[in-house]
Amino acid sequence: MNHSTTANGTSRSLEVSTKAVEAEIRDRADPRQVLADRVAHLYRQMPIAIGATFIAGAIATYELQGRFLQELVLIWWAIVVTFSATASLLLYAYYRSPDKVSSAPDWLRWLAIAALGNGASWGLAGGVFFRSLSDEHQLFLGFLFAGMASVGVPVYAASWPIFALYAAGILGPFFYVLLTFGNRLFIEIALLVPLFYAVNVVIAYRLTQVFLSGYQLRHAYGKLTQDHRTLNQRLEGQLVDLEEARRQVEASGRKLALFAERAPIAVLELQPDGTVSEVNHAAELLFGYAAVELVGGHVKKLVRPEFHDEFDRIWQELIAKRESMAGLKIRNPRRDGIDLICEWTVTPLVNFRHEVIAVIAQGRDVTAQLEAERMKKEFTSTLSHELRTPLTSIIGSLQLINSGVMGDVDKEVGELTTVAERNGQRLLDLINDLLDIEKIESGKLTLAPELIAPDDLVREAMVLNKAFGERFNVRFEARGELPGRLVLADRKRVQQVMTNLLSNAAKFSPAGGVVEISAEDSGANVRVAVHDRGPGIPEAFRGRIFGRFTQADSTATRQKGGSGLGLAICKRLIELMQGRIGFENRAGGGATFWFDLPRRSAA
Amino acid sequence: MPDRPLTRICYVEDDEDIQRIVRMSLERVGKMTVEVVSDPTLALQAFAEFRPDLVMLDWMMPVLDGPALFRQMKLRPETSGLPVVFITARASERDLAELQALGAAGTISKPFSPRDLPEQLRAIWAKLP
Repeated sequence: MNHSTTANGTSRSLEVSTKAVEAEIRDRADPRQVLADRVAHLYRQMPIAIGATFIAGAIATYELQGRFLQELVLIWWAIVVTFSATASLLLYAYYRSPDKVSSAPDWLRWLAIAALGNGASWGLAGGVFFRSLSDEHQLFLGFLFAGMASVGVPVYAASWPIFALYAAGILGPFFYVLLTFGNRLFIEIALLVPLFYAVNVVIAYRLTQVFLSGYQLRHAYGKLTQDHRTLNQRLEGQLVDLEEARRQVEASGRKLALFAERAPIAVLELQPDGTVSEVNHAAELLFGYAAVELVGGHVKKLVRPEFHDEFDRIWQELIAKRESMAGLKIRNPRRDGIDLICEWTVTPLVNFRHEVIAVIAQGRDVTAQLEAERMKKEFTSTLSHELRTPLTSIIGSLQLINSGVMGDVDKEVGELTTVAERNGQRLLDLINDLLDIEKIESGKLTLAPELIAPDDLVREAMVLNKAFGERFNVRFEARGELPGRLVLADRKRVQQVMTNLLSNAAKFSPAGGVVEISAEDSGANVRVAVHDRGPGIPEAFRGRIFGRFTQADSTATRQKGGSGLGLAICKRLIELMQGRIGFENRAGGGATFWFDLPRRSAA
Repeated sequence: MPDRPLTRICYVEDDEDIQRIVRMSLERVGKMTVEVVSDPTLALQAFAEFRPDLVMLDWMMPVLDGPALFRQMKLRPETSGLPVVFITARASERDLAELQALGAAGTISKPFSPRDLPEQLRAIWAKLP
């Protein structure tokens, strides 16, 4: 019961929808195309109209000559011939026309004029000749008119108004002549003419509708076919793309597998419960197990039992959060019992339902790296304590001698102890620089920033580095003042930078020279600069002047001292204080080293 | 600032060479009286006998290092008020801050200049209450 209702309902709705679809299809047709098709059809019928007119005209002329004024008949014949020739020219012009679609309304108009002319030429014959003819010839002419009018129905069916014009041209004068003939029978016939005309126009109208609908459907289906073809092409294109994408996915899958297989790090694929599904070759080498010994077992085989609880906690978090974890350092026992420390990155793979389907673990042996870090730390500590303690004794002893508190010493001996003290100091500077660089690079240097007036900075630097100036016979001079400015900086570390810059400037200045120190505004910064009149910075050296262990000229190191680390430390210190450091050669010889520190308000 | 000048210094240091330099520096340059203690475990006794104005402690020493000795001094009423200056080659800034908080009068880093050492100590002395 239910089933049949459904079936009926379906078929009814199918019917309705078919009509709707048809209407929709008709609507798709381009009306300009439809008109052009109708015009083309009308022109295709023109040879029939021209031929019928010419032949019927010839017969009529033949029949009428001698029974009428010879000249009038010949004039009428000339009209018919002229019409036929003109209509032929129109037809020819139409076929030569390059664009029949957009000019279709014009061609229709010309055709309407031609049809009216054609009809009117017959009408003329009726109007002029009918009255003076014998009964038989009147019958002949009436028959001819009726025939010509009904031939117009199929010829002009594609446009009923043209038929209406054409038939009116024939029947209008004939109707008038019959009505005014003075004969009752003719009046009765005359009254039949409009009826006859109306019926023919209605038929022409119906035919026009059929043509219209036919052409509309033809174009709609044409368009539909075109759409269908386009759609098919697009689908085909998409299929090709899809195939290409599939190939790419396959290729990248193979590539990934290859990456994992050949990677120098251990890669393990784990199930969500921690069971090992796959391991790569590097993992086999690293842990000393063959793949078959690990696959199928729990990954905890690679974790020391005392850390199993911690492992479970991390694993649960991983599965719950479904987020990758990096930098996990885990103690992993090898097959031979020796522990490795590996750094792991674990990535859960999640399907479209957000379920974890696998976990990829990538591990790198960092045992040696950690050991190296520990050794570096130990070395640094040794450097700082074990080297500094004996240096304290060496430099201290020499200072006591050189300062004269132990009494006068022989001049040459004094020179030697001065050399020894200076070089002891150099060694100490080197150690301090190395420790500083190490501290900065390992991120262990903490700054104690405070608000400092640049003028104070310059004054302090001049006092602290007076000894350098004296030693190299160079005078430090402050140039200009910058009152009311403040910078945020670590006082001790800025002075360390100043000492470096001033000692460099003093070292490379000619004896008796002047080193100028300036502080000035530089945009949002304060620029502190040290200007010397030394040899300037050689071109080849500029790129690496702030690098480690660099000096322009290695003989300079021997003559003037310095570790070659000073400017590298300065750069790092200034950058830690959000500043910039740089240099330029001075016009007239010498170099300027400057650093910018952000200006702050006293708030 | 204490109302008397700094004259009596007790120095606890296990390295004999540095002992000698400090002694010479303070005696010759600073004109002070110096008592040096090599064994930190005997330091408390030495303080009681010598009665220094100020104590200098080396940081790194075997058996009992400077900070540990300093904490012991803080526990005893007879030494808890003694000003203490640390001499150290390796203390981190955090360690120093911690010692300052515990009440160290100052720190002098190794290597120090024997020429300037008496002045450095007098400067610390001048800042004491």
